[in-house]
Amino acid sequence: MQECIDIFNTFAGCLTASGADPGLAQFLSILLGVVLVAMGPLVIVIFLIWVERKYAARVQDRLGPNRVGPFGLLQTFADALKLITKEDITPAGADKLIYNLAPIISVVSVILIWAVVPISPLHIGADLSIGALYFVAVGSIGTLAIMMAGWSSNNKYALLGAFRVVAQLVSYEVPLVFSLLVPVMFAGTMSMQGIVEAQLGMWFIVFSPLAALIFFISTQAETGRAPFDLIEAESELVAGYNIEYSGMKFGLFFAGEFLHVFTNALIFAILFTGGWLGPFVYQVPALGIIYLFAKGSIFYLLSLHLRNTLPRIRIDQLMSFNWKFLVPVSIANLILVAFLWKVIQLIGLLPGPENASDFLAHLPAAIIMLVGNLALTVVVLQMLRNVGRRAVAANAVSTPANAELDDQPYSLPVPH
Amino acid sequence: MQLPSLSELNLGLTVPALSLALWACILLVIDLFIPRDRKSVTAWLAAGGVVFAFIANLLVYRDPGVAFMGLFVADEFAGFLNIVVLLTAFIAILMSVDYLKRTGIERGEYYVLLLMTTSGIMFMNSANDLAVVFIALELLSIPLYVLAAFRAPEERSEEAGLKYFILGAFASAFFVFGAALIYGATGSSSLPVIVDAVGRALAGEGSSLLLLLMGSGLILAGLGFKVAVVPFHMWTPDVYEGAPTPVTAFMSVGAKVGGFAALLRILLVALPALTVAEGDAVAGWQTATWVVAALTLILGNIVAISQTNIKRLLAYSSIAHAGYVLMAVAAAGTPGVSDQATRAALIYLMAYMFTNLGAFAVAMAIEKDDGSGTSLDDFKGLGRSRPLLAAIMAVFMLSLTGIPLTAGFVGKWVVFQATIEAGLYTLAVIGVLTSVISAFYYVRVIVNMFLEDGEGDPAAAATPYVQWAIYLTFAGTLVLGIIPSLVTNLSGPVALAVASLVP
Amino acid sequence: MEFNIHSIVFLIFSVITLGGGLGTVTSRNLIHGAVYLIVSLFGVAGLFILLSAPFLAAIQVLVYIGAIAILIIFAVMLTRSMTRMTEIYNRQWSLSLVVSALLFVLLLVGIILPVWGPGTANAALQPSELVATTVDLGVAFVDGNQFVLPFEVASLLLTAAMIGAIVIARDRD
Repeated sequence: MQECIDIFNTFAGCLTASGADPGLAQFLSILLGVVLVAMGPLVIVIFLIWVERKYAARVQDRLGPNRVGPFGLLQTFADALKLITKEDITPAGADKLIYNLAPIISVVSVILIWAVVPISPLHIGADLSIGALYFVAVGSIGTLAIMMAGWSSNNKYALLGAFRVVAQLVSYEVPLVFSLLVPVMFAGTMSMQGIVEAQLGMWFIVFSPLAALIFFISTQAETGRAPFDLIEAESELVAGYNIEYSGMKFGLFFAGEFLHVFTNALIFAILFTGGWLGPFVYQVPALGIIYLFAKGSIFYLLSLHLRNTLPRIRIDQLMSFNWKFLVPVSIANLILVAFLWKVIQLIGLLPGPENASDFLAHLPAAIIMLVGNLALTVVVLQMLRNVGRRAVAANAVSTPANAELDDQPYSLPVPH
Repeated sequence: MQLPSLSELNLGLTVPALSLALWACILLVIDLFIPRDRKSVTAWLAAGGVVFAFIANLLVYRDPGVAFMGLFVADEFAGFLNIVVLLTAFIAILMSVDYLKRTGIERGEYYVLLLMTTSGIMFMNSANDLAVVFIALELLSIPLYVLAAFRAPEERSEEAGLKYFILGAFASAFFVFGAALIYGATGSSSLPVIVDAVGRALAGEGSSLLLLLMGSGLILAGLGFKVAVVPFHMWTPDVYEGAPTPVTAFMSVGAKVGGFAALLRILLVALPALTVAEGDAVAGWQTATWVVAALTLILGNIVAISQTNIKRLLAYSSIAHAGYVLMAVAAAGTPGVSDQATRAALIYLMAYMFTNLGAFAVAMAIEKDDGSGTSLDDFKGLGRSRPLLAAIMAVFMLSLTGIPLTAGFVGKWVVFQATIEAGLYTLAVIGVLTSVISAFYYVRVIVNMFLEDGEGDPAAAATPYVQWAIYLTFAGTLVLGIIPSLVTNLSGPVALAVASLVP
Repeated sequence: MEFNIHSIVFLIFSVITLGGGLGTVTSRNLIHGAVYLIVSLFGVAGLFILLSAPFLAAIQVLVYIGAIAILIIFAVMLTRSMTRMTEIYNRQWSLSLVVSALLFVLLLVGIILPVWGPGTANAALQPSELVATTVDLGVAFVDGNQFVLPFEVASLLLTAAMIGAIVIARDRD
């Protein structure tokens, strides 16, 4: 930790030596850190857009961007130039202040998350004691941006899109938080750095794969991507909340979205698969950045794959999937995990701080947790299957066709 | 860090309140499996929970103590008021069973919410910490907001719920602000600690007297809303009129009991030494409660005269009766009279509970399924078609007026006595005069029943359950009125209750 | 008064809080009012951070901005005609001004003046040396010596509120 602080201290020291007030020097050095943390994601997003387009193209049997630069790498720069030079249109009747504020807030809400992303044992914007809570709190600001955009555009499609956002994002925040609580409980801290270090012996995804799965699904819905992209369902809403936006403001919304997906993948890697942990990371801290981004990229690509291969689900399915499935399961999982964790502590299977990095010492606890989790998964799937069968049977009795499928209380997409 | 062990928490003392709350949660689940046309089973289960809490309360009553390291006191004061509240809840459930069915709003959540608010009132009776008082106040209020709007989408009920909710939220905000100021002035939210800090503040250590006065004023306003005293009474008639009648009946007694319990405990335990001027013998809040009580008595009784709807009339009457209880609270501000005045307040609440619930039960028997039939004219001819019911209603009205041989008389007698002992002669005179005024509108109901002719049977909806509720409250009213020594006896339960509160 | 980074930041957040509050009550457009409210709440979150209470700050953002403010905007958007309202219907400006001024004076005299400036601060009103951490807060909620009872009763309260909301909102049958 010491060296990292020293970079800023050196900067502050230089300023003080050149006659600046110590307080001011400290302030400027912190400001420098903030700028560095905020610039990182903005650079990354340029390449994310390229990855996204390339991947979508491959799935759809196309080539994707391939003209500007090697492998089309510079395509994004060209696009950005185009967007910036486009005419900036503000629709008549729009609320100018809010209309212009919305895209900025959209991007800022994502960049703010990076303040608590630990990218190596030494590097983190701010190791807040409430890092995990901060992630949720800041994420909720993104909802606000979309609502502001939808309302201020003075367009009914935009407004409808905004309505869907509230329904969807606010609802999916509930399982998100419940599944987020699981790693927090394992680590005994909400500090992101603390959560990573607590996974030294065993990744939390082994302890509770169900929580990881729920978290992944919820983040997918939070970013509003397929199969949860009802916010901007083209066939119904034309483009959703950003229909009136053009030029760079539109670009900001999209940069924000791409970045949000990647950020969520990183957060997932931090919470469940040990973040920057990897071989020799304490000897060469910079390796941590590579480990983290490698892990994050896997989940990012998984997210991309889901987006490009799954169809969009209906709004009522979306809501009932959340409230009738994800929320109860995440609560049940939280209770089960808390109970098992306490039992493991009581019977002394949990390794102490002296062998926190010992993989074998964690194995018995991990096996108990894993079995508990899998048992819950089986129970839930079984219940779901019964409900699905009953729904199908009731449907077959009441209507010959599927005309009234929408009225069924449980119209989940269930495997028969 | 040493956490206290479970046995140190004295969980047993919290059983009456906690069991009711837990039973409400369990009932919510049980209710899922009760078919829609048999929701009276839920009512019986809820009533069973109330009876269990009643018995548990009697056991705790015999062996009082402090739980949760002083946050929760299960003393006789709380025990006595718990009895009042649990009786109220039981009678309200009796009244609800048929009413909900015939007005088409029968749903299991009704009883769950009723139990929750009852447990909130019980927590409030026992709360010994401003934080607990606030949470209990909210647990009391929020289910009542919903219950008031339970007949939604009927407009008057929705209006009642909305009005109650918005004004109630303001009142809660007042209370919290007041509690925060008191915390700021004394550094503690625990009532017994506050009283020491107040003593220090008066001795000149700490310049926070103004904060304390502001804080107690805001708390008075917040709780004043709950018990509906002037000038925080505006919501009362509209809410009482719009809410389903059993809810109104419950609210008119339950919310008052909770509010007065918290008020008495905060004023007598935490702030008895709070004075405005140095060397003042009486508590600083006496003047405020005095003025509020006088205003409440005058306004409540006079405006009630012009009412033509029985529920609105009873609403103004309940405002007026809050004034009488507040008279006793004001009298409690004089050192030496505290115990007598507190006893008066408790007896009054008990008497008011029986009488008022009975009056609402009769009003409910008159009410039609669509919510009409609550006008005073609808009482015409009741004396001919249902002489017994009319006679009982007449007794309730006389009791509300304060005629001897009824519970109301006993209540008023002890309150006036305490007020005079405390030296508040003007207030006592106002109390007597307004009682005379109140006779006017109460007797008018009797006149309508016996001396005017109506068509058909107004009380066609008087079902057995409602009649039980009426008989029960009638018995309580008469027994209290004829044998007042049951509660006024110095060695009786009330004396114990008072002794537990007033040092 | 000592002038340092801390006081500058305090000044900035105070201006944000008060400015947002002023904007909320003077704004003629309801949505603008709600946005100003968010600004004000954000300022309060900043003040919490200055008071070393990051947990409260995060909760402030999560609950007040992320949930309540969004709910307000949502409700306003559902009543679209209200967002076009330019006339201030409340005619009791002067009265509310008097009440606010009165409250301000009372608070000034009651809270601020007794501790204003160096030297006059009363020993009993000095802030505690102990800085409570998030852990302390969590322990206080489950510690039998502290606030376990209100914490548990609060869970009942939330249950009751949730049941109530569903009872009111669900379709009649």
